[in-house]
Amino acid sequence: MRRLRPYAIPYLVWMGIFILAPTAILFVLSVTDLELYEPGPFSFTLRHFDVFAAPLVATTIGNSLALSATASAICLLIGYPVAFFLSRLGDKTGKILMSLLIVPLWSNMLLRIVAWEKVFTPDSFFTDLTGLSIDLLGTRGAILVGEVAMYLPFMIFPIFSVLEKMDRGLIEAARDLGANDAQTFFRVIFPLSSGGVLAGIIMTLLPAMTSFALPARLGLGRISLIGNVIESKLMKEVLGSAGMSINEGALISLALMLVAVVLFVGVARVDREGETLL
Amino acid sequence: MKKKRLRYRIYEAVGLLFTAAAFLVLYTPIVVILALSVNDSVKSYAWDGFTLRWYGDLFASDVMRGPIANTIGVAVLATAIATVFGTLSAIGINALDKRRRIRMIVLNNVPVVNPDIVTGISLMIVFSLVGFTLGFRTVLVAHVFFAVPYVVLSVMPRLKKLDPNLYEAALDLGCSRFSGLWRVIVPNIATGILSGALMAFTMSIDDFVITYFTSGSEYMNVSTWLYAAIGRSRSFTPAAYAYNAIILVFTVAVILFVNTRKDRKEREIRT
Amino acid sequence: MANRLIVMSGVEKSFDGVKVLSDFNLYVNENEFITLLGPSGCGKTTCLRIIGGFETPDAGTVEFDGRIVNDLEPNQRQINTCFQKFALFPHLDVFENVAFGLRIRKIAKDEVARRVAETLRLVKLDGFGKRSVATLSGGQQQRVAIARAIINRPKVLLLDEPLGALDLKLRQEMQYELKEMQRELGITFIYVTHDQEEALTMSDTIVVMKDGVIQQVGTPEDVYNEPKNRFVANFIGDSNIFDGIMKEDFLVSICGREFRCVDKGFETDEPVDVVIRPEDFDFVPPSKAKIVGVVDSLVFRGVHYEVNVIVDGREYTIHTTKIRAIGDRVGLAVEPDNIHVMKKDSHA
Repeated sequence: MRRLRPYAIPYLVWMGIFILAPTAILFVLSVTDLELYEPGPFSFTLRHFDVFAAPLVATTIGNSLALSATASAICLLIGYPVAFFLSRLGDKTGKILMSLLIVPLWSNMLLRIVAWEKVFTPDSFFTDLTGLSIDLLGTRGAILVGEVAMYLPFMIFPIFSVLEKMDRGLIEAARDLGANDAQTFFRVIFPLSSGGVLAGIIMTLLPAMTSFALPARLGLGRISLIGNVIESKLMKEVLGSAGMSINEGALISLALMLVAVVLFVGVARVDREGETLL
Repeated sequence: MKKKRLRYRIYEAVGLLFTAAAFLVLYTPIVVILALSVNDSVKSYAWDGFTLRWYGDLFASDVMRGPIANTIGVAVLATAIATVFGTLSAIGINALDKRRRIRMIVLNNVPVVNPDIVTGISLMIVFSLVGFTLGFRTVLVAHVFFAVPYVVLSVMPRLKKLDPNLYEAALDLGCSRFSGLWRVIVPNIATGILSGALMAFTMSIDDFVITYFTSGSEYMNVSTWLYAAIGRSRSFTPAAYAYNAIILVFTVAVILFVNTRKDRKEREIRT
Repeated sequence: MANRLIVMSGVEKSFDGVKVLSDFNLYVNENEFITLLGPSGCGKTTCLRIIGGFETPDAGTVEFDGRIVNDLEPNQRQINTCFQKFALFPHLDVFENVAFGLRIRKIAKDEVARRVAETLRLVKLDGFGKRSVATLSGGQQQRVAIARAIINRPKVLLLDEPLGALDLKLRQEMQYELKEMQRELGITFIYVTHDQEEALTMSDTIVVMKDGVIQQVGTPEDVYNEPKNRFVANFIGDSNIFDGIMKEDFLVSICGREFRCVDKGFETDEPVDVVIRPEDFDFVPPSKAKIVGVVDSLVFRGVHYEVNVIVDGREYTIHTTKIRAIGDRVGLAVEPDNIHVMKKDSHA
């Protein structure tokens, strides 16, 4: 099988170009005053780190963390029971229902956001449809519901995968040894599903923190999340205003990337095969 | 017997309740979109009556044709390229020694765990530095970039289960290097390749953020077009809802088909 | 008379319309090592699971210590199980696996530590407490499973083919250890296996089962020397089965010749099955023998030669240390108490 190794080389090169190089560049941008569009002499500086202290950015980070953590928690609270329930149904039924839960993901994200806009606007199309008039647009609540609706399947799926593959004999063993339902769950089932839970949290927390279209439209731009900040800093630059925005954007991006990779390595320690992420 | 039933019935009822709630939350926007696709109004502030004209418009008018063609074109191409590249790379990675394999897998998973926005920015920076103008080519490369890891993740588990001597057995029996792969390894990981391709296609067809950063101002796929259109609400057309509805129906059909097909196959094997 | 700890009466169980146990009646005494023996699919595992509470009988009753326990949950029975594939908790180390039952009952920390150490010593796994389950060999995992079960001091230990995954030498060692353990602990062991040698080695009582019906219950000697029917005779040990005719009490006719035997109670001239174990035949000069045949094949088995002799067109197996050549004419002799007569049954 060793003779097949060379097939991995092109991929290594590819990853080198598209991951390592940009990361290096982002790093350089973060700690120097290099201008991306006017490369010239540059020097080391740490002043971009000030961006974290800037009041807008600080509240944004706070908002992002709070909202996405809440959304992730809600996804877990709803998602775990659903995953558990589905894993108990017959093999076929469980898989079909799981697939149906994924179907909404195929619907364009922006259109779903537009749909939620209509739901949260009082006296709108949605009201004509259902008679319910909800006035939530522009609030955190709206963003929260939107995020849960967007990311719930990403929480359910990994947990379902793990629970479905679990050796049922272990549950019998626990009952044989005297455990009641609650004990069986907390001492055996939940610990064994922790890999799935962790994967689910990662797949909901990070995307929730970094989305920008959702808060832009459901929060009516009033509530800024990290994604919005990055986007505005970068796009502003592209569209022509001056300043060190790109470097600051790079720094924030790098920070996010670090968080993501650290979390991922953490999960990899718990689950060796890398299967839960699928 | 009865006592047991009651406790389990309660668990079942609770599970059912949560599942119903999940479906409610997930499908509310879907239902709204479907309703919007048959609403006789452009801005859809209210229900103005039933119509099917947006479905017709979808094929007739040019507003959406460009973005849709782009989206599907990129998705198909990127999936094809990513599937081949990903499968071959997975085969290579699987053959590595443990340490290097783990390193490659970590590298492979970076695009998967990285927030979209970070990937988008990184790619945008690389393209800018190299001097490529942002457009179709950069979008294609970007889509291949984030799709390949999913193919690898899908193929690797099946590769692992294969007998390590399979490829060498094929060579021993006279296969060339290429036909050894094609005749022996590929058929055994076919399901992995297929599901990887499916995931790649899904990720590509709906991508917004990465395309947003790597497409520049000229090129548009459905998602970036939508973002601009709903922002300006000048060029928006409800045909977008129709497009979505069609995709949804298609997807559900595929899912049901795949699930029942598996059953038919299993029944065949048993008899 | 020993105390009957478990009584199963008229138990029936079906899965997907297939009857696995029919009119099953069995009792188990205290402090007994009883083995359910039979081929795959005979219902022995189902019987075990019903006793453990993992399945409920469709009909009939299961009594434990005098009370009917048909619907009693497994976690409420004073019974513990050693599962076939061990079912060790992968997320807990050896110590916590073994301590699981005690933790459930909220036993104090130091007592838990004491009892775990004691039990690990019993199963010869001292010092393995911190090890992770995945790093253990099959035999070691087996002992952890046993330790985990017996630490709870159950009245009954159920063992579902526990030694199946081990290699021959290890299996034989474990058989002795399990037997010793049962004697020391005074727990009733209910053991399930399809390996008749294992059953003969370890059990006080063997229950031979086939297709959900008990064929015979007895001590290993009983079942081996006096099988009740063809199935049991074939399943336990090697056997030669002759068609015979019972002439009168203590006299049976085989191959046209009459033999003294030790069975009685049959009708005159009743057709019967006659069992003679391969090791009970002896070679004698053909002129002095009542049964004469020709050697067809012979295989060296270490302990003895396994010789196939053809008599009247049928093949019989002899275990002997006397060497003969293929093609030799040989005479066979057998002692009267090694001739065992059984009623012919229409199904076997």
